Amino acid sequence: MKKDRITKILLVLVLLMLPVNFYLIFQVAPTERIMGDVQRIFYLHVSLAISAYIGFGVLFVSSIMFLIKKNLYWDTLAYSAGEVGLMFSTLVLITGSFWARPVWNVWWTWDPRLVTMLILWFIYIGYFMLRKSISERLKKARYSAIIGILGFLDVPVVRLATKWWRSIHPRLSKEGGGLDPLMIKVMLFSLLTFVVFTIVIIIFRFRVAWAEERLYSILNEMEEYHE
Amino acid sequence: MLRLLDISKTYSLKAVLRGVYLELKDGEAFVLFGPNGAGKSTLLKIAAGLMSPNTGRVELTTDSHSHSSIFYIGHKNGLYNELTVLENIRFFQDITGSRNSNTILREILMEFGLWQRRNDPVKQLSQGMKRRLSLMKGFISGADLLLLDEPFSGLDIRWKEIILERLRGLKKQGVSLLMVTHLIKEGLSIADRIGLLENGILRLQCKTEEITEEEIKEILRGGVCR
Amino acid sequence: MGFVGNTFAIVKKDLLLELRAKEAISIMVFLSLLLLVVFNLSVEIDTENVSRLAPGILWVVFAFSGILGMGRTSLSERDDEAYLNIYFSSVNMESFYLAKVISNLLFLLLMEMFTIVSFVILFDYERLIFALAPLSLPLLLGSFGFSVVGTLFSFLSTGSRFGEIILPFLFLPVVVPILLGGVSSTDIILNGSGGDSPAKWLKILLVFDLLYFCISLILFRYIIEE
Repeated sequence: MKKDRITKILLVLVLLMLPVNFYLIFQVAPTERIMGDVQRIFYLHVSLAISAYIGFGVLFVSSIMFLIKKNLYWDTLAYSAGEVGLMFSTLVLITGSFWARPVWNVWWTWDPRLVTMLILWFIYIGYFMLRKSISERLKKARYSAIIGILGFLDVPVVRLATKWWRSIHPRLSKEGGGLDPLMIKVMLFSLLTFVVFTIVIIIFRFRVAWAEERLYSILNEMEEYHE
Repeated sequence: MLRLLDISKTYSLKAVLRGVYLELKDGEAFVLFGPNGAGKSTLLKIAAGLMSPNTGRVELTTDSHSHSSIFYIGHKNGLYNELTVLENIRFFQDITGSRNSNTILREILMEFGLWQRRNDPVKQLSQGMKRRLSLMKGFISGADLLLLDEPFSGLDIRWKEIILERLRGLKKQGVSLLMVTHLIKEGLSIADRIGLLENGILRLQCKTEEITEEEIKEILRGGVCR
Repeated sequence: MGFVGNTFAIVKKDLLLELRAKEAISIMVFLSLLLLVVFNLSVEIDTENVSRLAPGILWVVFAFSGILGMGRTSLSERDDEAYLNIYFSSVNMESFYLAKVISNLLFLLLMEMFTIVSFVILFDYERLIFALAPLSLPLLLGSFGFSVVGTLFSFLSTGSRFGEIILPFLFLPVVVPILLGGVSSTDIILNGSGGDSPAKWLKILLVFDLLYFCISLILFRYIIEE
């Protein structure tokens, strides 16, 4: 199984990368002059956001694929990626809050990027609520694919609207401008780690979910030939 | 006209249909019998394209590929309850493009006992009247294939006869029928072929001449297969 | 009948239905009135701050009353499965969707006019009436966007087990750009806000409308058929 081997390689890779990544963040990266150690959350925060977008992006593409192919394989991939995306976006919101508290002295800031993430979080909560409320399997897949597509399309529009909207309201603070070259390197490594990490989690979640789906269909067949 | 190939359908873990094959020729009337929960309505919905089967496929061969060549009447009547009888019919004619002349419309409304009530909102009609109005839509739709799910529900013996008469007329015009009913006598009187669905399996398929009402009743009662 | 004729026939039916039942309109009108009263009781609104608060209050009322009303209009199709008539007619699903968007838009605009008049009376804010001409563009674009998303989502939610309950959860996050665009352009029109022009907000509304209209037009058929 070629696919299996790739998954295994990715898994080993991510298990090696994660500790290195944390070592880089907490030991190698220089301490920020004004914000201090708290700034180190930033590396995680941004990486988590990218991970969340990967999850929602995969959900978006698989939703389109489902409507074209009508194969539950794609729907299973869609909700697996959606769950991963939802988990990461929750962490983004939490780390964002941890970051805002010492830096801006507030628990929450209406920064356009953060607001976009919050809106997305609500949209995908709605996605899973809708899934829960439909029992017929194919209908569930079709209906939620529609939310998966329309929800992701909202990202650029919400992003633009919140950016303009912030520009009328008083700004809390600007993001730090000049980053130390070493900081940038640590950031890039962290991003890479989390991209691989996300892909691995989605693959594993998908394999469990797909096994469940197949188990159901086998149980159905057994029921069928029971008599 | 219509071909159902190896249709299976499951709801969560419950198998409703298991590998059903059914073929309906042009102008043929096929009536499905079976106990409650046998999967008759599900099969009809799948044939109508309202539900997709887990396995198998539905083949429809008509002159036009649009939906307008088939018409389905389910358990619900498909009426706008706030609109009057005539408004419902007019809207239906608008969207199906079936322009029956007023005299024909009047004739069929009289025949179905709805002429007196033509300007009353549908919500004020009795169950039987609503069912008749619903069936009437099927008769004026100009469809080549009618899919009827328990068409006689709520109708008394007189109206059943009138509906059956109409159905025979349609058959003569070459309209195909796929009907689900638990009324064996009425079903047999219109069917060219019948099928017996039990537990999601099409147990029996035969020409109407080959079976009697008693035999069907016996099978349904005992569940014994010939 | 062509695309336009079919669309028109369905809009005509919706208006007639609403004229008879008055369900969607009464839900929207009474809820918006109630919300205005609740706002007045919970937020201290006086002649000083009314013009600053008006945009936000108005658009929140539009969104909430609107989505409840739109849920109602799709229920009228689902109740007796009346939409199946359209499904089995020659009308294509794009035409059906467009018709529902138009009729929902008309109901929304009616509700918004009522809300604006009530706002003027309840909060003694006549300026709003005189600003109606410049406000008409954001109102039109915003309501169209509401209707585009609301029509699609209301058909989704009424087909699920939770029904209309789930509708606000799906609708409100997606229409955030409309809320921001509507509130901001209304604010600029009413208060000037430093010589800013509402043009860029109208652009956002327009982009949202076009994007969601095109995609929803394609996706709508997946709600109705397999």
